[in-house]
Amino acid sequence: MTAKPKTIWDKLEDIPREILYGLLLVCIIVPMLFPIGFPVPISAEVKRWYDTIEALPAGSVVMVDFGYSGGGEPELAPFAVATYAQLFRKADIKVVTMSTASEGPLLWEKAMTELNIARFGKEYGKDYIHIGYIAGTETAMAAVGKSISATTTTDYKGTPLSKYSIMQGVDSAEDFALLIEYTTGGDQSEGWVRQWYTSYKTPYLCCVLAMMVPTMLPYQKAGQIVSVVSGAQAGQIEILVKAPGRGVKSADVITVTHLLCIALVVVGNIAYFGKKFSGGKS
Amino acid sequence: MLVAGRMFALGMLIAICVLIIVCMELAKKNLPTFRKIAGLDALPEMIGRAAEMGKPVHYTTGLGELNTNMASQLVAGLSVLSYVSEICAKLGVRVIYTVYQSQVMPIATELMKEAYTRAGKADEFDADDQVRYMSGEQFAYASAVQGVAERERPAANIMIGPFYAESMLFAETFYRIGSIQLAGTARGYQIPFFAVVCDYLLIAEEIYAAGAYVSKDAVLTGSIRGQDVGKFIALILMLVGVILTLAGSNALINVMKL
Amino acid sequence: MSIIMKKSVPIALVFITAVIFLLEYFVLPTELKSTVTMLQNWGIILTAFTLGFGAVNMFVFHGKQVSRRAKGQWPYSLWLLIILVLFTLVGVIMGATSTQYSWLYNSSYFALSATVYSSLGFYMTSGIYRALRAKNAESALLLIVGVIVLARNAPALAAQFPILVNMDSWLSSVPTTSAQRGIMIGAALGAIALGLRTMIGRETGFLGQTTEGEKGG
Repeated sequence: MTAKPKTIWDKLEDIPREILYGLLLVCIIVPMLFPIGFPVPISAEVKRWYDTIEALPAGSVVMVDFGYSGGGEPELAPFAVATYAQLFRKADIKVVTMSTASEGPLLWEKAMTELNIARFGKEYGKDYIHIGYIAGTETAMAAVGKSISATTTTDYKGTPLSKYSIMQGVDSAEDFALLIEYTTGGDQSEGWVRQWYTSYKTPYLCCVLAMMVPTMLPYQKAGQIVSVVSGAQAGQIEILVKAPGRGVKSADVITVTHLLCIALVVVGNIAYFGKKFSGGKS
Repeated sequence: MLVAGRMFALGMLIAICVLIIVCMELAKKNLPTFRKIAGLDALPEMIGRAAEMGKPVHYTTGLGELNTNMASQLVAGLSVLSYVSEICAKLGVRVIYTVYQSQVMPIATELMKEAYTRAGKADEFDADDQVRYMSGEQFAYASAVQGVAERERPAANIMIGPFYAESMLFAETFYRIGSIQLAGTARGYQIPFFAVVCDYLLIAEEIYAAGAYVSKDAVLTGSIRGQDVGKFIALILMLVGVILTLAGSNALINVMKL
Repeated sequence: MSIIMKKSVPIALVFITAVIFLLEYFVLPTELKSTVTMLQNWGIILTAFTLGFGAVNMFVFHGKQVSRRAKGQWPYSLWLLIILVLFTLVGVIMGATSTQYSWLYNSSYFALSATVYSSLGFYMTSGIYRALRAKNAESALLLIVGVIVLARNAPALAAQFPILVNMDSWLSSVPTTSAQRGIMIGAALGAIALGLRTMIGRETGFLGQTTEGEKGG
């Protein structure tokens, strides 16, 4: 028995994976090489993020957790770089960074290189510091919240923290005006709510992967997180901070690839109904 | 002496713990029953398919770690692993368990060995081949599992535990090689990806019930019953809170802030 | 090893540690602070040790693959061991924050990690194309919501059609948040139950044993 020839509906309903991936690849590469300049509207969450940092009084100390791995770098790093730019532009704001992910210190160095920190006139150990990777996720968060000096005595390079002026008078969560988190892991993003917000009521800004935002929203709605944003919104913060970079470039790619996905969904449904109404079976 | 702002939480914690203990004890005398969970009922059929095709079954508990708050999901996954291993042993199907956290290896090895022993096939269990520690890094683990999928081409893929971004990688890869799939996770981020690709799905709570469902263990079953009662309490509090808030009263909110 | 050492002592340790943490959180925060800090630091050190344990396991497993010349596997296992040793040597000799280690990390692991993660986009595209079909009422609803969220997350479309922002905001704030809260409550109760069972010795999975002889009915 010979197989029935495939109709147009069959072909559109089951487009080979290779064609789908090829189209996606084109939609990623072309806007990267030839930026279109689509508008990037600023969302309420990113504006709240920006305003929270702008409202920090002089002399504030900020804790940043670089809790993402290499896989999340392309999405989260642009947002992190723009936020550091905003923090470093403000007078007399000190930034203490730690990592709850083992790759955090290396990725932080990468981000600082991209930021070109020298242009802000900030000095390591006086204005900013990285206290290293601290294992244990929530155990680490709880320990650091109680006492940094009891948890770690050196920075990420192994130099004693006592040598750095930034750490004078800064030891527990109560000494920090703001907590900022960048992570690809729900354990970290939710853990800070339990360990710092619940115990110390530290205002908390959380930047996660786009797919994690719906799950973090309940914490924002309950007032436990000031703003939950995704790394994909990096273009918006770059515009607000006036430091365009990878985020703005990615915005074009995001628009085009999303349009492709919508087009494929429409084609798939047209094929499904076309086949159904022409008497075929799906 | 009690810390202000935490008294209500302490009271609730004690109440839920007492409920769970009571339910566990009651379950020893009268085992509670579960509603049908399609995914779990399909497990023997899935493994039977693997037996007919002469292909192995792949099992993963995702990025399960014993020392994080994901431990409960990992334990749920291990309970079902024990059940799956017993069925696989009985039907002569090789089950491959890929491990993320090295501490889980000895536990899983012990569970699977016991399962094979219960099935009367203790000598057929090969820990080196069937319990494979891949990597403690997420994407290294994900790549390794994809490699297992391509090389071993299992007929069935069972994923129960805490999954992160690698969920879609697993689901699509095993879909592509034609595996029938059962997935379950309580990590809300990943449920949609499994829902879109897998044949059977356990959503959130169902993975905790899964261990009890397949083992009929009184402790686990009673514990699930206790959790269900806890959920009823949460539901009642929510309803009372909504009614009081609509009536302009903050009484419940003030009680919860004690 | 006697049953006391294998089971009773670990369970007693878990119970005592859990009670200390609970007392510190709810009753005696000041009096028990130093004890809890010490225990937390022990936990951090133990977690760090598990990384080393993982490396040892890698050596054992992949070493066996190489020595057995496991078909189709042993060249990869050998390569893994070479890279493992290289990273370890460079990290120990030059330092984990040295330029050499950073180069090694950036040019190998980071690039691979980002690539594998990025491949998700391709899998999601094929998944979306297959799954978002209006075959029945539920899948039609999934289709509509999926298209709204896709469109809203395309910055240019959101700028052109602000109504998408409002629709997505409602979807996020109401049904999604409600469902996530329900899942969170369930997960939290599951964690409490597991913690309780572990404390009272009814959960022995972490000791490598299933619960036995507790069949009910």
